[in-house]
Amino acid sequence: MPGKRTLDYAAYAVFIALILCAPLVLEEFWLNRIAKFLVYGLLGVAIALSWGYAGILNLGQGLFFGLGAYMMAMSLKLASPTSLQQGSATPVPDFMLWNAEPGAKTDLCCINHGSFLWTPFQNPWFGIGMAVLAPVLVATVIGWVMFRKRISGVFVSIIMLALVLLVRLVVIDAQPLTNGFNGLTDLGNLTVLGVELDPYEVVTYYVVAGTLALALIATRLLVETRAGLILQAIRDDQNRVRYLGFDVPLYQVFFFAVSAGIAGVAGLLYVVVAQFASPTFMDLSFSITMVVWAAVGGRASLLGACIGAIGINIIEAGASETQALVQAWRAVIGLIFVLVVLYLPRGVAGFASDAADAVLSRFGRKRPPAARPASERVAS
Amino acid sequence: MSAVLTVDGLGVAFAGFKAVDGVSLIIEEGELRVLLGANGAGKTTLMDLISGKTKSTQGRVHLRDTDITNWEEPAIARAGIGRKFQIPSVFRELTVRRNLEVAGCGKPGVFANLRFGLPRAARRRLDEVLDLIGLADEAQTVAGTLSHGQTQWLELGLLVMQDPKLLLLDEPTAGMTAAETLRTADIIKSLRGTHTIIVVEHDMAFVREIAQRITVMHLGQVLAEGDMASIEADPRVRAAYLGSKGIH
Repeated sequence: MPGKRTLDYAAYAVFIALILCAPLVLEEFWLNRIAKFLVYGLLGVAIALSWGYAGILNLGQGLFFGLGAYMMAMSLKLASPTSLQQGSATPVPDFMLWNAEPGAKTDLCCINHGSFLWTPFQNPWFGIGMAVLAPVLVATVIGWVMFRKRISGVFVSIIMLALVLLVRLVVIDAQPLTNGFNGLTDLGNLTVLGVELDPYEVVTYYVVAGTLALALIATRLLVETRAGLILQAIRDDQNRVRYLGFDVPLYQVFFFAVSAGIAGVAGLLYVVVAQFASPTFMDLSFSITMVVWAAVGGRASLLGACIGAIGINIIEAGASETQALVQAWRAVIGLIFVLVVLYLPRGVAGFASDAADAVLSRFGRKRPPAARPASERVAS
Repeated sequence: MSAVLTVDGLGVAFAGFKAVDGVSLIIEEGELRVLLGANGAGKTTLMDLISGKTKSTQGRVHLRDTDITNWEEPAIARAGIGRKFQIPSVFRELTVRRNLEVAGCGKPGVFANLRFGLPRAARRRLDEVLDLIGLADEAQTVAGTLSHGQTQWLELGLLVMQDPKLLLLDEPTAGMTAAETLRTADIIKSLRGTHTIIVVEHDMAFVREIAQRITVMHLGQVLAEGDMASIEADPRVRAAYLGSKGIH
């Protein structure tokens, strides 16, 4: 199909141009909001990679998002003014003081049993590094165990679902170390390379938008490689791939870990933009919501799932703030889901792809490339 | 001529039942061997044992000089054995061309494959394989929409693309029309000589078309081995499998 791929790349280019130009028309408040939605878009990319390309429906992607978020939040908590005025030479999070045993020394080393774990997070680079590394490592270990045992399909979904709830319980239970239910709040701004990333400054938006653009391009290139092709083959027929001589679990673990890494970066950026980390990131409902975004946008398309996440959140924000819909906005969102599932089983991206096919075959070469309908922009 | 595959006293028991019992075979370079036998004779199980799907409980399998007994499936595949399944399995959401590209990737590791496109030699071979299996016009078709016969040919193409030392074909004409069966026979005949092949087949017209040497299995054991004429004449084969009327 000549031109289809060009359209596809054009869709990426248009999307990236749009998110990079948004600050020209949006004011601070909306910019901060859109930045959050772009972070959700990053989660959409992670879901599309594992669900659409690898065929692994991960109902616990929130685990990796939450891990990334907490790692970053630990650094930002230590950088917060609330941690610096405790009568100690080094910062100590305020909640540790509230939870401390009487007479405990006000120092990260020993205010409680696990507080020394926080010590390296005084360096923000450690927090940033761990926000990516921790999800990747955890995913590698979980993936190794699951995929070596040839666990697949719904069993992976159930295992991940159970794991995310387990970790959520542990985080809530470890109150002295994690501030339990309340999560990590009153965070400082992330300062890297002399730039302070205030959530309401344009520079923060650009960091988020730039990361999303890079992640989209890099992930797209990754699935275009031979390894990406083999991954899709594994999705379609594991056994066939095994008898062609490939180590199937190796591929599954690798892409599972990449997907986890992207979710970790999303968690990191979310904390920078929203300035809190909470156990609700590891709620079941959030992990399922991510899957719904990807389903609506089109799980077979990285860009589709990304746009699905951003689009649904914009509609949600708009509907919940429209006077007439204040009572009914959840119904509006629900209606959209139902309509997509019924009429667009491959999501918006699948619809756009079909539309592009129809247009290309009908008008063929006669149509100048400049005159494309807007719907093709999400073709992928 | 040298032996590509040496099977020596191979067997497996499932809860005491010996599905394959002390089978010995020597397959020479460039040979096309047909495995014949009634349902339950152990033909598919023998292929499972050779390709690593089932672990044997007795005997050895050598591919040339390498002992591959009970290796993991991907390791056996890399050693040079390609397997086609009874129920055709291809990558249904990928196009025909992309299907063949997967088989042409060559290197097994994930990091070795973090690069774009196939090597030039593999790309050239891909076009040859497309012609061989008669799917050149369908190269951009998604495999899931192919007809049953075309799907079988595509899987055959995957194996040729993989370029193994030995091809194991489990009922390559299952479910095919007479015309498709003949076409499949042509494909397999064109591989004869350049590839070493073992075919499990029931379709006698097809066997007659392609067979050089035939091994007849019965109740997990080798009953007879020889060319078409001697198999047809063998009284034990007639009694066990073909019935008193001979091959139709």
